[in-house]
Amino acid sequence: MSELPPSPEATPATPGGPTAERPHTGHGFGRVLVAVYGLLALAATGRSILQISEYYDRAPVPYLLSAVAAVIYIVATVGLARGDRASVRVATIALTVELLGVLVVGAVSTFRPAAFPDKTVWSHFGQGYGFVPLVLPLVGLWWIRRTARATAAADESGESDASDASGASGASGGGAAPSA
Amino acid sequence: MLQPLTVVLLVGSGVLGLLAAHHLLRGRLVDGPLIIVGAAIELALLVQLVVGLARASAIDDGAERATFIAYLFTVLLVIPATIVIAVKEKTQWAMAVVLGGALVVAILVARLQQVWSLGV
Repeated sequence: MSELPPSPEATPATPGGPTAERPHTGHGFGRVLVAVYGLLALAATGRSILQISEYYDRAPVPYLLSAVAAVIYIVATVGLARGDRASVRVATIALTVELLGVLVVGAVSTFRPAAFPDKTVWSHFGQGYGFVPLVLPLVGLWWIRRTARATAAADESGESDASDASGASGASGGGAAPSA
Repeated sequence: MLQPLTVVLLVGSGVLGLLAAHHLLRGRLVDGPLIIVGAAIELALLVQLVVGLARASAIDDGAERATFIAYLFTVLLVIPATIVIAVKEKTQWAMAVVLGGALVVAILVARLQQVWSLGV
């Protein structure tokens, strides 16, 4: 974290990365994913600390769920950023749990609102956060799958299709996923 | 809370967002102007932290006050984190991250103003 930015020059971005880089869940489009997960981790952690410390008695279950969500987001962020085989497996599990969580909590909070007197990040399928919590695990799982396939392809044929793996155009997919 | 400062921050993050979008379309990476604008926003955010902490006692409700203070500190993390990520990334996704970061700063500053105006 403490490393200084290398001399800031207006170097042109090479679409496919400088060299034929190995596919990595934390590179290319993965940076956006890691940033968004990091942000959600921060938001969920802050919210759950506040909820549990300030008014835990009001609604213990939603508040504990907020804390669980926070932990899952932290695990997913670290797993995607590290990108080695074990980390990616952990991240896959975290994202799957996240998807199930947002679906179950979203459904329960919508159809039985009495069960959730106060909000969590996953209430109403993440409506309070622009439905990002619902879309994000889908995008994340897609990205992990895509990276795994690119890795397999790179291992198979000695030369890797780096331009395909790291996402050539910044504008097309990136705008839709994180900012909504 | 301090309306001129909020306006400066919103304009600043708008400029950073536009610069990032420009760089993204032109295929450029992190450069001097981007870091200078980011640093200027960060400085204004530090001023906001000091002013906000000094005036936080005006918010009556304890939980609202805690939220307000938490936002004051959280918003400081966004720009440094996005710049670090963007420097490491050598494709155009770097600028997508900065663009997202600028948006998040604007949203958090607006939220701060909202918490403040509802709480006082």
